[in-house]
Amino acid sequence: MKFAVRFAHRIALCALVLGSVAAAAPAQDSAAPKNPSEIVTTHSFVSLDPVPRGKEFQAAIVVKIATGYHMNSHKPSDSYLIPTTVTPQLPAGFTLAEAIYPAGRDEKFPFSPDKPLNVYSGSVTLRLRLTADNSVALGAATIPVTLRFQACNMSACLPPVKVPVSLELQVVAAGASTHAAHPEIFSAKPTS
Amino acid sequence: MNKAVRTLSAAVLFSVVMLGFSGCKGGSPSTGSGGTPAPLADEPDVTFKDLQGKDVTLASFKGKVVLVNFWGTWCEPCRGEIPILISMQQKYSPKGFTLLGAATNDEEKAVDTFIHTTQFSVGGQQMTMNYPIVMGSDDISNKFGGLLGMPTSFLITRDGKIAKRYIGSLNENQVVKDVENQL
Repeated sequence: MKFAVRFAHRIALCALVLGSVAAAAPAQDSAAPKNPSEIVTTHSFVSLDPVPRGKEFQAAIVVKIATGYHMNSHKPSDSYLIPTTVTPQLPAGFTLAEAIYPAGRDEKFPFSPDKPLNVYSGSVTLRLRLTADNSVALGAATIPVTLRFQACNMSACLPPVKVPVSLELQVVAAGASTHAAHPEIFSAKPTS
Repeated sequence: MNKAVRTLSAAVLFSVVMLGFSGCKGGSPSTGSGGTPAPLADEPDVTFKDLQGKDVTLASFKGKVVLVNFWGTWCEPCRGEIPILISMQQKYSPKGFTLLGAATNDEEKAVDTFIHTTQFSVGGQQMTMNYPIVMGSDDISNKFGGLLGMPTSFLITRDGKIAKRYIGSLNENQVVKDVENQL
């Protein structure tokens, strides 16, 4: 029992030491951004299940951005800012009609108090309009996509990064029956 | 309470305390626990390239107080603090101080265009960057202990010791005070 009390005292002492060390660190260190993988998470969805050859379908990449962070929109406020992009590495037989990016929001930040920046924050859905032609093999298919973004918090930025995202789909013959998948994503107007 | 539990508890205690002290290293190099100044770390042995491709060693600035500022043309907070840096260079370079801007994750051509064409409002005057600009790299960043974000700046003493690290936009009052303390 005595030891338990001594141990509790030691733990309390530890907490005190750690608290002191944390307090001694310069305030500006708290501005350090997290690792990119902690800032952004992605989930991908396909609008048709399965995907018939010759029928246009969409893919959506839902990007969740950690609270306190933002990334430049696809059309940032200035040409020197790095836009968010999604680029599919299309396997043979797939074609891309269009990448659809929602408009960003104009926001002011402490480091740019006079000039609003056009950014994505919170959650943003990026879409691709795709088609598989008759040369695509039937069955499971994977389309690799690269998400490129450059994120900041209120006082510091991370370097631009490229994050791999994977689209998984089932390809069936032209005219085969299919159904709309994830209508909650694909029937909504693209927003950021 | 048996011996094994005591040993385990002591190990946990040791680990927690060591974790605390190792955390200290990520903070100000000039601050140790208990108010005792920790010895300053030596500046890393790094060689930058200037925009003409010539080598620029950090050691070549020994004798001056140097603020190494890792920045990027694509980084809005980095741009936001450039007027402060221009002003510091103007005010303190005659006293043995220099800024050294290390452009990171950037292309030389973009940096060259930027530094010659982008005007900043400094004390009511329009000015371009007035301090040496070199190209950074991952290797150089790693020798500084890795960059957690940009901008990141390091204040280096006249004898080549790292006095302080600043992550994120600079607090003008703080960095001016720190530089003046070194001059």
